[in-house]
Amino acid sequence: MTGETALRARIASLVPRRWGKLPREARDTLFLLFVIAWTVLPHLTHLPLWCSLLTAAVLLWRARLALTNAPLPGRWVLVAVLGTAAGLTLWSFQTLLGKEAGVTMVVVLMALKTLELRARRDAFVVFFLGFFLILTHFLYSQSLLVAGAMLVSVWGLLTALVLAHMPVGQPSLRLASALSARTALLGAPIMALLFVLFPRVAPLWGVPQDGRAKTGLSNVMRMGSVAEAAQDDDIAIRLKFDGPVPAARDMYFRGPVLSHFDGLEWRAGASPAPPLLRRPSDVQTRGEAIRYEMTLEPLRLNTLPLLDAVVQSPSVEGYVLAMGNELQWRADRPVYERLRFNAVSYPSFSYGQAAARASLNEYLELPSGYNPRALQWAQELRSDPATAHADASTLARMLLAHIRTGGYRYTLSPGTYGRHAVDEFWFDRRDGFCEHFAASFVVLMRALGVPARVVTGYQGVDLFPVDGYFVVRESAAHAWAEYWEPEAGWVRADPTAAVAPDRIDRSRRLLPAPGMVAGALDSVNPMLVATLRNALEGLNNRWNQWVLNYSHSQQLDLLKHLGFSSADWEDLAILLVGAISALATAGAGWAWWDRHRVDPWARQMERLRDALHSLGLAAAPAEPPRTLAQRVRSRFGPAGETLAEQLEMLDRQRYSRDSLARPDGSLTRAVAASARALRSHAGVR
Amino acid sequence: MSRVLALPRWPRGQPGASIRARFKVWAQSRQPRTDTLLLTQRNVYILPTRAGWVFASTLLVLLLASINYQLNLGYVLTFLLAGSGVVSMHVTHGTLRGLTLHLKPVSAVFAGDPAVLEVVLTSPGAARFGIGLKVWGAPADTLVWNNVPALGQAHSKVSFVPGDRGRHETPTLSVETRFPLGLFQVWTVWRPSATFLVYPAPERPAVPLPPARPVPGGPSRSLATDGGEVEGVRAYRRGDALRQIAWKKAAKSMNAGGELVSRDTSASLHQALWLEWQACGALSPAERLSRLTAWAVAAERAGAEFGLRLPGFTLEPASGALHRTACLEALALWK
Repeated sequence: MTGETALRARIASLVPRRWGKLPREARDTLFLLFVIAWTVLPHLTHLPLWCSLLTAAVLLWRARLALTNAPLPGRWVLVAVLGTAAGLTLWSFQTLLGKEAGVTMVVVLMALKTLELRARRDAFVVFFLGFFLILTHFLYSQSLLVAGAMLVSVWGLLTALVLAHMPVGQPSLRLASALSARTALLGAPIMALLFVLFPRVAPLWGVPQDGRAKTGLSNVMRMGSVAEAAQDDDIAIRLKFDGPVPAARDMYFRGPVLSHFDGLEWRAGASPAPPLLRRPSDVQTRGEAIRYEMTLEPLRLNTLPLLDAVVQSPSVEGYVLAMGNELQWRADRPVYERLRFNAVSYPSFSYGQAAARASLNEYLELPSGYNPRALQWAQELRSDPATAHADASTLARMLLAHIRTGGYRYTLSPGTYGRHAVDEFWFDRRDGFCEHFAASFVVLMRALGVPARVVTGYQGVDLFPVDGYFVVRESAAHAWAEYWEPEAGWVRADPTAAVAPDRIDRSRRLLPAPGMVAGALDSVNPMLVATLRNALEGLNNRWNQWVLNYSHSQQLDLLKHLGFSSADWEDLAILLVGAISALATAGAGWAWWDRHRVDPWARQMERLRDALHSLGLAAAPAEPPRTLAQRVRSRFGPAGETLAEQLEMLDRQRYSRDSLARPDGSLTRAVAASARALRSHAGVR
Repeated sequence: MSRVLALPRWPRGQPGASIRARFKVWAQSRQPRTDTLLLTQRNVYILPTRAGWVFASTLLVLLLASINYQLNLGYVLTFLLAGSGVVSMHVTHGTLRGLTLHLKPVSAVFAGDPAVLEVVLTSPGAARFGIGLKVWGAPADTLVWNNVPALGQAHSKVSFVPGDRGRHETPTLSVETRFPLGLFQVWTVWRPSATFLVYPAPERPAVPLPPARPVPGGPSRSLATDGGEVEGVRAYRRGDALRQIAWKKAAKSMNAGGELVSRDTSASLHQALWLEWQACGALSPAERLSRLTAWAVAAERAGAEFGLRLPGFTLEPASGALHRTACLEALALWK
């Protein structure tokens, strides 16, 4: 635990020199305030500003009260502040329920409760609120860093609890923290056992939806929404290929397919028909299959971004997957957890050749009253004899060529677009990123009479795998187009590739300007930064695979390894109950064994008395070794001299000014040996 | 149980009281009176505290949140706290188990004054923290807290106000701890076997001592026993009260290389001071005992020789601390 020692050293350097001279009460309160501040700290980015300021003010005020030994404020002050905080929460979130508002209120309550630390009961309220607060961090992030910070918090809270139960004197923080660490470490096996064996069940009831979608994918696309995700460097997918790795340019992860356009927003089509009514998909695959294991971060969507094209449903524990009409794979409910599963994809495929003309009508719809210039432009193109009878692929090539040569620019900050966004983009500003290109392409194709739609998902992976895992980041969120052609079916067209081939070929995405520190680090040693980042992500990956992704299927795998042939719930329950019973028995056994533990000096005296008893000397429990020595001398004379001297030495060891802390076992054994020797000597005589 | 069932003193008609009385008899038979008690699994009890129950429900809520939000780290937190709680149960129990409690002899007190029980706690192993002692049934804020060092001893003083005069049994003591996390309370009930005396409360404000009366046939001594030049003064004897020392003359005497000198009170020997039941006027027996107690204390403090006469009991005149103790004992136990 080098992190702990470093932290302790840091705390030591921060703590004023008067720390040791503070009264017990003030020191304990300051320590608890410090732990609370540490626990709240990671929430600062999610909390409204007023809440952070209020918490900081309350904690500082409480620290001042502790230092000056001033009385705590009355209850009415607290009620007033709490009421204000509730009002502000309502104002910030329009509700008092839900995750964000709940976290805000817990933080405020925790801070205010420190102003009411009167009885032991109040202290317990603070501790238990603290444990809640720790859990709320995991709603936002379960990264290694957060886990480490929260481990420190748990340790701090337990230490404060231990301190509260050491009422005598001024126990040092070091002692209390060592005691709490010992308690937690001894509890760690129980934790590991429960973690491994406690049955993982599905959520017992629906949890409130998260207001902010973190993922780059969504069922709705409006110009600008993907740009936000494009700057998010968090990991979205981890891939481990079993066999050949496809080229980055072929890695299209198909997310929601957006085919309904109302002039402003693109939306996914209706949910798929029930499986029985759905006609069999007409996907034809060619070439080699690509097998891979995919770890998906929580999506908050139904649609799983699988590598194009997956024909057979991957089996995902706890979910029913079905293929939509647009080749996308949807789960029966939104996915709020990290998933790991295996899938097989065919990069070369074709589908949709047999689509009925009528079923394609929805991919031709364009709302009236939007983008008149684009429609006009398409109309002119269609009436131009050179292009009037061109087929879909020729038209697509024309549009892509227009994008390539028309002065279009790929940028992450194109600015906002108005009502006629496609017009504005296509004719005037010509600045945009993938969704601008894809949306405009689809609108124009539809205006030209070609069925087309927008496909969203991820495109590309990081160049270098970490631990054999390829990483797809949120910033790889992408939008491209598909159009339909009678012979070929649905064909992918990526207009972004026409203007920024780098974005597709080498998976190099535009990066926002780095912050100052990151920039300085980069310029010093780009390799070092890359290596550090890779090492950290490797660690994170293992953390994800072994801790965060541990689920019901892993539990069943474990049972199979342990020899349960057809592992199920019951086996898990039996194993858990058995293990807990074994632990409880071990605990009781330890207590029973501990019963026999007596003062080592008393044990030594018992051995001495036993040894002398074998010589026929009955020693009373109160007799010290020197008295026994006298009795040995008077009984055996010179023959007993060795034994008597040893007994006297033993007496000095225990009672003299420089006595030993614990009895010397070798001398005890020597006494026993002398007693045996004396007995045989006496017996011979 | 048949022996217990044979006890005749049970209240009848009240099942609750009967069960309580039965339980009390059973519990006391489990806890024989002893001045030295080794705490083992047999006499150390454990139950969760209210905070412990709240902790358990907190864990339940944390578990529900972990399940509903599918938070594996939430499981880790919940189970870490649960593990720590289980370990704390053992630690709490281990804090008392193995301790040896020993009660030192209890000194007598006047009624109304607090008596002090001095208890020695001995740890056979590791250090123990946060052990509280109090008289069984006393409010929690009277707990006296102790830490016992490793392989060492701690001395704890529990004070309480005993009842009226007489010989009292040491009250039942409770020893408890909640260390380290306060989730469990471990306690033991200790019934020491020692007894102690409670003297009657001395009357306040004190009434002046009765006058000494000449006693015919009393011991007679010559005035200057040491043959000294000065009338009424003799050499200092061990046990003379400070006020008896004639300081001016002693200074002179010591200047001349002599010893301390005391006033010779032998003159008063002709007159015995009797503290008598009859001399207390028309007071009630309890008030008489109080007055006699106050007199006995005052007479001893004055260094006088005094006797005590109670109905059916007489203590011949003498002086000194032992005599005082004998008088007070008689006053405490007189019936």
